[in-house]
Amino acid sequence: MIEIIGLLGIAALFAFTVRKRVALVATVTLAALAATIAIVVFMPAEASGEVLDLPWRMSELGRLAAVVLLGTLALMVLAVWVDQPAYNFFPTALVIAAVVLSVLVLTTPIAIYAALLLGLLVPVGSFTFQVHRNRSAEAAYRHFSFVALGGCLGLSALALSASLGRDQPPTTFVLLVVILVVAFALKLAAIPFHTHAALLASEVPASALALYFGVLVPTTFIAFAEILVLSGLLPAIVEIGKVQDLLLSLGLVSALGGAFLATGSSELRRVAVYSVIANLGQSLIGIATLSGPGIIGAMSIALVTGLAATQQLLAVGTLERRAGADRPSATTAPLAALAFVVGGFAMIGAPPLVAFPGHFFVELIAYSYSGLLGTALVIATLGVLLAQLRAAMAIFRSAPDRWRVEQRPIAGIVGGLVFLALLIGGVQPDGFLRPIAAFADEFLRALHPL
Amino acid sequence: MLLLAIVAVATLAANSARQLRYMAVAFFGVAIAAHLIDDGSLSASQIVVSMCAALVASAILFVSARDRRYGEDPGWRLWLATIVAAATTAAAFAFLRPATGDDINTNLLGPDPSGVTTEVAAFWLLSSGIAILLTARGAVRGSLGALLMLTGTQLLVRMVPGPELALTLLLSWLQVVVALAGAFLIVNQRAAREA
Repeated sequence: MIEIIGLLGIAALFAFTVRKRVALVATVTLAALAATIAIVVFMPAEASGEVLDLPWRMSELGRLAAVVLLGTLALMVLAVWVDQPAYNFFPTALVIAAVVLSVLVLTTPIAIYAALLLGLLVPVGSFTFQVHRNRSAEAAYRHFSFVALGGCLGLSALALSASLGRDQPPTTFVLLVVILVVAFALKLAAIPFHTHAALLASEVPASALALYFGVLVPTTFIAFAEILVLSGLLPAIVEIGKVQDLLLSLGLVSALGGAFLATGSSELRRVAVYSVIANLGQSLIGIATLSGPGIIGAMSIALVTGLAATQQLLAVGTLERRAGADRPSATTAPLAALAFVVGGFAMIGAPPLVAFPGHFFVELIAYSYSGLLGTALVIATLGVLLAQLRAAMAIFRSAPDRWRVEQRPIAGIVGGLVFLALLIGGVQPDGFLRPIAAFADEFLRALHPL
Repeated sequence: MLLLAIVAVATLAANSARQLRYMAVAFFGVAIAAHLIDDGSLSASQIVVSMCAALVASAILFVSARDRRYGEDPGWRLWLATIVAAATTAAAFAFLRPATGDDINTNLLGPDPSGVTTEVAAFWLLSSGIAILLTARGAVRGSLGALLMLTGTQLLVRMVPGPELALTLLLSWLQVVVALAGAFLIVNQRAAREA
């Protein structure tokens, strides 16, 4: 495994040196990603090993998430190559691929966290463009600050919890778990820690935004769940209900707040970003219920939301570029507009897409937890639905005399491919949900170690 | 204890510096003193890796200044950051120090196997870094805050039993990436302001 991660790193260095030759660098990036996906798919089940005494293991969830996230990354690379050549994007994508793989296979919480931070800092370069004309440098700086703050706090909490004996007063562990949860909330842009995401949403290029919300945010969520399992802090969470309440509150505020903010947004990219935040709130609630269905639903929502965000944000990029100074409209890029709309189906968890089971599980378990919580989640989903409907109506407000497919309709094609994948997953949910269920088993075992 | 005092003084020097280049030099001083604090678990390979990363990070910040005068005036933020850092260090030490019941024995020059010096230095650097980062107006002090926090984190991670060299390597890479990202932002913010 270390060889693959190392090769991705070398490919990133090579891509950086030849980054201005877009055709070459894009081909190398796609080839490296395709080779990595193939190796991951054909790797023996539960393969494991050690690097410098650092253990790694390819779990079922790791394999599924690697295929989904690296596949998403490959689609983004294709879209950027064809439609909006941004030469910094390719080396960044390769580094992020290496980071995603590291996060998914490492089994030492501190190492997972450190790798994740590397991945979250790398896109700072992709966020910044035409700094004289916009506030992208400020947005990138705010992202940097949030990641550095949350990252160091979380790492310190993990280091302290690993070095302390288990005979410490409960308040010590409560404090450490609270710090860890807040640290992840900062990185996941959970409301009220979302101000950097709001600025990113309006200022940075759509492709960089897709990279962040489509790949890095789901990776962060998976890392959060894995670290909870591997750090041994879960029993402390069960014993002291306050931490569970904190997670539930964060999730609830994010789900409702994200949905309301999405409803009030007139910009397409903000609708997509706030819908992601609302869905992550649902995922946090799923984890906070500490139940099998909740965990399966949470992980499922996180992965599918990443795909939907990629669909929508790439489509937004195309719509904005084609519209120029005007409002984005389907008349200039009908396929991209269609991709945005079908991305909305995945975002709200509509059947028969594979997005449905995750939302269903979390809302069901939320109702069994408390009627109020379940109702709040349904309201949040309705809010996201309303926001997506408004956005779709705004794009299709005007219709041309004759529909004509845009030139280089790569955003539409990517959207179609993602929709097809989600549809196949929805028809055959077992292949998608079984690896997540295996992880949920591990999670529940870690909750009650004896 | 002497190294702890050097960490504290060098942190104050970095915090109060108006020029980025002085900040970078002072940060290197902080990093050297922090990584040399001996809690009985130090290995030569870990020290070399950490020092190299600190040197590279400082050099990146130094170069990103481009001229001697460029920087950020801390003004009142210096005092706020110092007071908050001192108070938070004391609070963190009181709440998060392991309840072993052992006596705390420290000396001026020798190693400190109890780990108290390492922990105090780590909490001080974390608190100072947070205070500087939260009160920073731009990427200059923001980068310094992030690097100080990360140095504090490295000290805490050093106390974790397990794959020590691997974790040191990972965190050293992280430090270099933080410095690179910070330098990139410094250059871009300067370009935006001067336009």
